[in-house]
Amino acid sequence: MLFTFLHHQWIQFWRSRNKGVGLASQIILGLFMAYLLLIALFLGYALPDILARAFGGQSALRSFNGLLLYYFAIDLILRLQLQELPTLSIVPYLHLRIKKATIVQFLNIKALFSFFNLWPLILFFPFCVSVVYSDLGTMPMIAYMVTLLSLIFFNNYLALYLKRQGTANSGYLIGGFASIVAIMLCDYYGLFSLMSLSDGLFRLLANRPYLCVSFVLAAACVFWWNSRYITDNLYEEEMSGSEKEKSSTDMPFFDRFGQVGDLAALELKLILRHKRSRSTVMTGLIFMAYGFIFYKKEALASDSFGLMLFAALFMTGTLILFYGQFMFAWQSAHFDGLLVNRLSIESFLKAKLLLFTIYTIAVTAIISLYGLISWKILLIQLVAALYNIGFGSIVVLYMATFNYKRLDLSSSSAMNWQGVGASQWLMMLPYLLIPYFIYVPFKIFGNGYWALLALGIFGALMWLMRNFWLGFLVKAFEKKRYKIAEGFRE
Amino acid sequence: MIIEVQHLKKIYGSRTVVDIEHLGIEAGETIGLVGNNGAGKTTFFRMLLNLIRPDFGLVLSKGMDVSKSDDWKQYTASYLDEGFLIDYLTPEEYFFFIGGLSGYTKAETLHKLEAFKDFFNGEILKSGKYIRDFSKGNQNKVGIAAALLQQPEILVLDEPFANLDPTTQIRLKNLLKEWSSKGLTSLISSHDLNHVTEVCQRIILLEKGQVIRSIETNEGTLEELKGYFGED
Repeated sequence: MLFTFLHHQWIQFWRSRNKGVGLASQIILGLFMAYLLLIALFLGYALPDILARAFGGQSALRSFNGLLLYYFAIDLILRLQLQELPTLSIVPYLHLRIKKATIVQFLNIKALFSFFNLWPLILFFPFCVSVVYSDLGTMPMIAYMVTLLSLIFFNNYLALYLKRQGTANSGYLIGGFASIVAIMLCDYYGLFSLMSLSDGLFRLLANRPYLCVSFVLAAACVFWWNSRYITDNLYEEEMSGSEKEKSSTDMPFFDRFGQVGDLAALELKLILRHKRSRSTVMTGLIFMAYGFIFYKKEALASDSFGLMLFAALFMTGTLILFYGQFMFAWQSAHFDGLLVNRLSIESFLKAKLLLFTIYTIAVTAIISLYGLISWKILLIQLVAALYNIGFGSIVVLYMATFNYKRLDLSSSSAMNWQGVGASQWLMMLPYLLIPYFIYVPFKIFGNGYWALLALGIFGALMWLMRNFWLGFLVKAFEKKRYKIAEGFRE
Repeated sequence: MIIEVQHLKKIYGSRTVVDIEHLGIEAGETIGLVGNNGAGKTTFFRMLLNLIRPDFGLVLSKGMDVSKSDDWKQYTASYLDEGFLIDYLTPEEYFFFIGGLSGYTKAETLHKLEAFKDFFNGEILKSGKYIRDFSKGNQNKVGIAAALLQQPEILVLDEPFANLDPTTQIRLKNLLKEWSSKGLTSLISSHDLNHVTEVCQRIILLEKGQVIRSIETNEGTLEELKGYFGED
């Protein structure tokens, strides 16, 4: 029976993919997956070396131990957002002569076929075989592997359980990441160290390998808990994550902006109520960790801000870049409705600028925590925010008038290539190059501070010229409105 | 004339989809647009609402070219298909949004919605669902009500009777007659000859994009139309 199920799934996968998405994007998707797996493989083999370099002076094993809890914490949060419930697919079987237990079993097995379960295996097992084995011996290596497998199982079923409860919402994601960033900062300043906790835990495991049984037990508990929940709730309606009563939300904050505010609130609801837009914005928030990679002490000391500026532009502009990339197309399903209603194109565009501005300001406020590393970072981020608000958002909205591809929000998953075209990628070029056209000359003939100042002034000036740019955008939009609407009707 | 169509033409490839030499609509008239699939009804509506650019000619609304100025939006409301609905909102949120565009407060919007109580049949408001989770018929109800909510002078509806249950069809007819008696100008397309002849004062028959007949409704109209559609 289980094999029949899996076989059905297999055909369903191939047939549905072939129907909707073109072969080309399928190949791209496949290549992308292969690429990610290759990276994992490479990282897995290079891990000892990378760890030694990243945490100089500390043994690779110790860094590895220290990072494991971090990894699984982030893994859990990402799973909550991105992993899909293997559910709806069982509806056609529910009324047939099939035992409940079989269906539950099938759901549990199907849940294992996830990228999230494969990736850590490839990433961590080579390390176990090489470093753990040579440093600690056979038994600890087996204990490590069993523990890692248990943690993967644990996260897998815990995430699914929470999702089925309907408790996993965006608030958790933001909260989760905020606490991880907070813990990282604590680690950095030595207030509290999750790294040493994690290290201690795995050290204990290395000394007493049999303790890995407790991880297995924990995983088994979650597995059993999850299975029982499914068995009790095996109804068509209740399987797709608990459906809460949809409430009409007010966003009083936007009231003060009049019609523009109404439109901005509308778009915010669009973002929050569709999986695809939500994960797009969430991916953007994850990039807030870019600072940890790009903000380097040496670069700060020598006042060479170029690379850091890139990170800052990216972090403060993720909404503009990732969400703005598909601009107008988000609303393709009701674009006609927007065009015939009593609203002006100007307020339509203004609402988008308002959202961008609020987002950029909020993100800039959050990432000013990086300022604890150096005050120079605050400067860079401020300049980046000014550019994004003043000019980046305008560039993106202008590029959006060249996008005629309908975006289907109803069928959406984390890896959805529907509606993606070349224009989206081309758009990133001017957006990211323009700041450097301004930055680089001033850097060459002056220094980093002059360059930042110039870019900051440019951003502020453009912000002041917003009405001019709005007029420009309205004209561009009016020229293309029929073409855009036609493309979205498709 | 509140709406005037002049030399309007839309061509896709080698096919002329709409070709209306002249059409005038007086204020307060209720016009029924009939014709088989592909006759150009929806394309005509879309040009009327400035959603498609005509290849030739223009549509004047109160003497103003609809593609040149947005003034017609102030007194025109329409519902062509689900593409007009913002489907991730609850009906209440959608009505508040639409009402807000006309400058109504939430209380005013709710008050105006009272008039649709029968029409909604208790299925729309306070349902705790997003519009996208409604059946097609109920989505239609939301769209039609949202259009009327704006207190328009001109109303454009594309096949409003489709997907509605019989009771609601009758209620919709009553609603339309009631509004028409208050001076609303409406353009309604439909495949249901009984309904349009009952509601509309004038029937415009489209074939391959051209107006082939314009009939003031009387007792014989229904038979005439049936004759036309039956013969081939």
